[in-house]
Order: sequence, then C-alpha cells, then structure tokens
Amino acid sequence: MGGDSKFLGLWYVAPYIIGLLLFTAFPFAASFLLSFTDYNLLSAPEWVGLENYEKLFTRDRTFKKSLTVTLTYVFTTVPLKLIFALFIAVVLNYRLKGINFFRTAYYVPSILGGSIAIAVLWRYIFADTGLMNMIIALFGGEPVNWFGEPANALFTITLLRIWQFGSAMVIFLAALQSVDKSLYEAAAIDGAGPWHTFKSITLPLITPVIFFNLIMQTVQAFQEFNGPYIITEGGPLKSTYLLSLYIYDEAFKSFDMGNASAIAWVLFVIIMSLTLVAFWSSKKWVYYAGDKRS
Amino acid sequence: MKRHILGTVLATTALVSVGQAAELRMSWWGGDSRHVATQEALKVCGVKHGHTINPEYTGWSGHYEKLTTQIAGGTEADIMQVNWPWLSIYSADGNGLANLAELADIIDLSNWDGDQLQAGTMNGKLNGLPISTTGRLFAFNKTTWEKAGLDLPKTWDDLLAAGPVFKEKLGDDYFPFEASRLDAALIVTLYGTQATGKALINPETSKFDWSKEDLVRAIEFYQTLVDNHVLMPWKDVAAAGNIALHENPNWASGKIGGTYQWDSTYFKISDPMEDGQELTYVDLLSQEGQKTPGIYRKASMVFSISKNSPNKEAAAQIVNCLLNEEEGVAALGATRGLPGSTAARSQLLSAGAVEQVQIAAQARVINAEGPAIHPMMEFPDVRSALQDNLELFAYGEVDAATAADEMIYAIEEALEDL
Repeated sequence: MGGDSKFLGLWYVAPYIIGLLLFTAFPFAASFLLSFTDYNLLSAPEWVGLENYEKLFTRDRTFKKSLTVTLTYVFTTVPLKLIFALFIAVVLNYRLKGINFFRTAYYVPSILGGSIAIAVLWRYIFADTGLMNMIIALFGGEPVNWFGEPANALFTITLLRIWQFGSAMVIFLAALQSVDKSLYEAAAIDGAGPWHTFKSITLPLITPVIFFNLIMQTVQAFQEFNGPYIITEGGPLKSTYLLSLYIYDEAFKSFDMGNASAIAWVLFVIIMSLTLVAFWSSKKWVYYAGDKRS
Repeated sequence: MKRHILGTVLATTALVSVGQAAELRMSWWGGDSRHVATQEALKVCGVKHGHTINPEYTGWSGHYEKLTTQIAGGTEADIMQVNWPWLSIYSADGNGLANLAELADIIDLSNWDGDQLQAGTMNGKLNGLPISTTGRLFAFNKTTWEKAGLDLPKTWDDLLAAGPVFKEKLGDDYFPFEASRLDAALIVTLYGTQATGKALINPETSKFDWSKEDLVRAIEFYQTLVDNHVLMPWKDVAAAGNIALHENPNWASGKIGGTYQWDSTYFKISDPMEDGQELTYVDLLSQEGQKTPGIYRKASMVFSISKNSPNKEAAAQIVNCLLNEEEGVAALGATRGLPGSTAARSQLLSAGAVEQVQIAAQARVINAEGPAIHPMMEFPDVRSALQDNLELFAYGEVDAATAADEMIYAIEEALEDL
C-alpha cells in the first residue's frame, strides 16, 4: 500500500464502508428476506411468502391501531417542533445581553436527547403526584391524568419530543444568521414591518433549512422508541403504542422476527413515500441561491 | 539464560492451567437486595474456586428479551438465572442448554429430590437446577390494615368489605389492595381457577379449559373489586406512568394495603416500605363454594449453564458453591426465596438467616392446593391476550362478554402458534 496507490482513498474509508455493509446494509437486506419468513430466532427461518404482510393488512388490529397512533404522533410532533424551534431561533437571533448563555441553555435538552434518564424524569414530572400537577394545583387547577387518559398520554409523549428542539433550533439559527443583512435594510427603507420582513424575506431564504429539518425530524419521529417505552410502555389502551414499540415486542417478546421485519419494512416504505412527497413538493416551496423563480 | 526464562514462563503457564482459573459471566434479574447479595456470593465463590465471575444483572423488565437474544446469538453468560417456563423455549429438546447431569461430579445433585430435578429436566436432560419453589401469595401491609381497624382478610368477601372502611377511615387515596396490568389478569385467573377448579390452560391438552361464562364471571369480579374501592381504577394506576409496585410511592407510604405477588419477591417489595410498616402473608383468599384454593405455584427460577460455555466445569463449581456450599449459600441468603437445595435450606434455617415471614410464606406455597400451571401461562402472547383485553374492559371500552370472547380467541391463537 504505497502512497501513490490509486486505492489509497479506499483504504482510508474502508473501516466506514465495512461498518456500513456489516451493520446497515446486511441487516437491511436480511430484514427484507426475513419479512417473508416465519422465524423465531432459535430455529431456522421458514419461508411463508407474503403471509406476514397479508396478516398485517387484513387481520392485525394491533398494527392498524399502532399505525394510526404513529401517524398521529408524527403529524403532530414534527410541525409543532419545527414551529417551536424556529420561534426560539428567531428570538435567539436578536443581539441581546447574555444571548450565548441562552443559546447554550436551550440546546441542553437536545444534548440529553432521548435518553432513558430523561424519559424517567418525564415520567416523574407528569405523574399524578408529579411536578406538573403541583404547578397546576398552585394555580387552583384540578390535577390532570397525563398518562392514564388515552387522549393525554400521546400528547405527553409528544411534548417530550418537542422539548428536544435544540438541534433543529441550532440549524435554524445558523440559517437565520446567514441571511444577507442588506435585504433587511432594503425592506426597512421600503417601510416593511417585522412580520412582513419575516414572511417575505426570512422564511423564503431559509426554506432549504426548513426542508432539511422537516425530513430529518420526520424520520426521527417515526423512529421514536425510548419515550413511550419507558414512560407508558405503549399504554393506556395502546394509545402510545408506536410502530417502533410494536416491532420491538414482535421481535423480542413474541420472537416473531418475520412479522417484526414485515412491520419494519412497512414503516420504511411509509417514511420513504413521505420523503419522496416532500422532495416532490419542495420544488414549489423551497428556494435555493440563484433560483430564478420570482 | 534465554532457555531459563522460557522454562519459567512455560512452568507458570502450566501451573495456571492446572489451577483452571476461568473468567466467567453470570446473568440474573432481580431487585437491589438480590443484586447486592449475588455479587457478594460471586466474590466469595470466585475466591474459593479461583475464578473470576463478571456479573450481568437487570430488573425483571426486559430480561427475557435480553437473554433470548443472547442465546440466539450464542453470546449468553456462562451461568444464567432462567425463569422456569423459559426452559421450554430455550431447550425444548434438552440440547439448548448444558446438561447438568453430566457435571454431577461437581454439582451435588443429592440436595434436590426427584420432582425438583424433573422440573428442570427437558427431554431427559437436566437443563436447570431449581433455586426455589415459588407461588403467588397475598401480602398485606399489616400496619395500614390496623390503622383501618380491620383484621387481615381471609375471604374475598372480607376484602370487598374492607374497601369502604379504608375509604371512610383513611381517605379516598387509601386502598386495601392493588392489582393492575398483569397482576389484575392474574387475580382474574385466580378467581376463575378457584370457582372452576381448573387451570385456565389445561397442562395436559394445552387447550383453554374454562367456559366463556367462567371467564365472564371472573372478569366481572375484577370490576366488583374496583366498584367497592378495593382496587384503584386502572386509569388512576396508569396515571403514575409505567412503574412497578416496588417503585410506587403509594406502596412505600402504605396507602396501598395489599398485593398478590411471588413469595420470592419478599425483599423486593418490603425493602421500599417506609419504616414502621409490616408486610405479612396470608393464606389465599377464598370464595364460597370454591373447588380449589388455586395456588399459582411453579418451580421458580433455575440456574443453567450455557451449552456454549468453554468453562462448563468452572461454571458448575460456581453453581454448586452458590446453591450448596456454605460460603455461597451464606452470602446469597434467601434473596431468591427459601432455597430448594436441602443443604442450603438447612444452613439458612439453622443460622436464622431466613426471616420467619419467608418461611411461613414458603409453607403456604408448598401446602396450598391448586391445579398444575401450564408454562405457556407465562408466554408473552398469552399474557397480552389476558392483559390487553382486561384493560379494554377496565376502561369501559368493551363489556365482560366481549372481553372474554377476545381473550379466548387470542389465547387459542397464541396456543396454536406455539
């Protein structure tokens, strides 16, 4: 392996490529094949054709419930998180005293991320005797059953995800800071107010970043696991039973790897389809530098 | 000189080999008291036999998934604490785990009787040594019941009568008993077993063995308990999030007056109780005209050795130390219930190392009658069938008859799959 070898670059990236092939590409392909089998981990897989998929779409009520919960969760969480992250980014974009401290402080929840410890903390905060109900009681309100009421439970899980808005916020903040200041000056000379400036200058110019965050947050939301698993274990009445939990239960409790793989592939197709729709629609609302559209 | 050094190295290597010092792994689930005692016992046994044992412990939740995945991947620990019903999953043909009978020169099997060894035997091969026999028992917080001015209950009617008294004397947030999720499903199962005299799943035929009407009556009884302020409604229990009984502040403070748990979990559920409270076992509550007390008894957990372990003999030495030898038994104590090994049991009893309450509980488990339990009662799909549909009923989403229909359908489907 001399320095002039034309394969030198390949050697450098080989560890990554080997890891990608072993830990991503192989399981990806294997799960597709397993989705056509009856496989319980402890004995050899048995080919069953489309039976797992047929069962999912015709007989499996848990799948239907879980799919509905997942879509509700994603379509609620992603817009709310993006709006909240953008709002905080706009606020933190102002030149205020001690702004760097606030930028760091708001990012902290994302560093803690979707860890088990945070999920346990969330469970204590929203428990019947937890901090949230104490605050409500201080204002004379009645305690809320956050986890026991199916309608509240998913909302509580959603809040946890929205609270972890930091990474999206940092990306928005970087985009806001890269907007050409002369455009704002020109708008001010023309008499545009803050809202018009934001709507007509800021938003269009950061649409590539909004698009990026939309895709990333959608994919992450579909993969949410820790929060509902630790806080509610998918209950009550499976109201927080996301597809990721169902895949886990099928794979590691029932040891029906074939069915679990089939659900995982349905989830993959959904994420892929939504991503393609987002890319297709981006032609109409995402503006890149040098874009000729008016 | 070089030759001299080489000779010394070879001689040292040979000595280590004769000593057979092995590095082992042992996995188990449990609560804090079991974790502390087991780690201490592993240190003691490790020193005695010259091995190093790395502990791998978790809570109950998730242990089955972890262990099964490890076994499937061939990465399981050398020594494993295995739940008895799992033996039929891991080693239906007897070849999934090491045959401990082949290690009988190291493990003193004479400390178990034939029935006990049979419980750990799969297809003629001894895959697990029963650590203890366990059963579900009623445990009551005697202090709270005294505060309510009541004697501990003997019948379901006593329990039903206690609900309003707790409410009136102690307050709305005091309940004489608790059962939700799996525990609620097992209360329903117990009530039906007592009434019918039959296990829910017939151990001989592997078929659902009750009539629909039997199941409906048992489900409706759950609602009677809730309506009489005996049990906190399912929805209110869920308000605390997904927490186990021993993590529940209402249990620690004595606001929950009783529970239905394995007798081997005595320390796990009594440790978190606030000072001055006493946990007491009673006989299984009875109902009028019952056909059996309906004890849910099984060989408790077993110790198994991995078939893939390169150090089976060393692992067997440690298992023998933990279950039969003075040092290991003393360190382990009764954190897995009253030991099944006669040597360990007599050592602990004569040393007064077992609390009287545990001895009494074990006697209740052993002496009570009940139909044999089918291992599939503990399979996730069967448990989900019971638990999920009971939850629907508890939330008022379906009536008892529909819940029963759904349970029967799901259980039969699960049994068919298995």
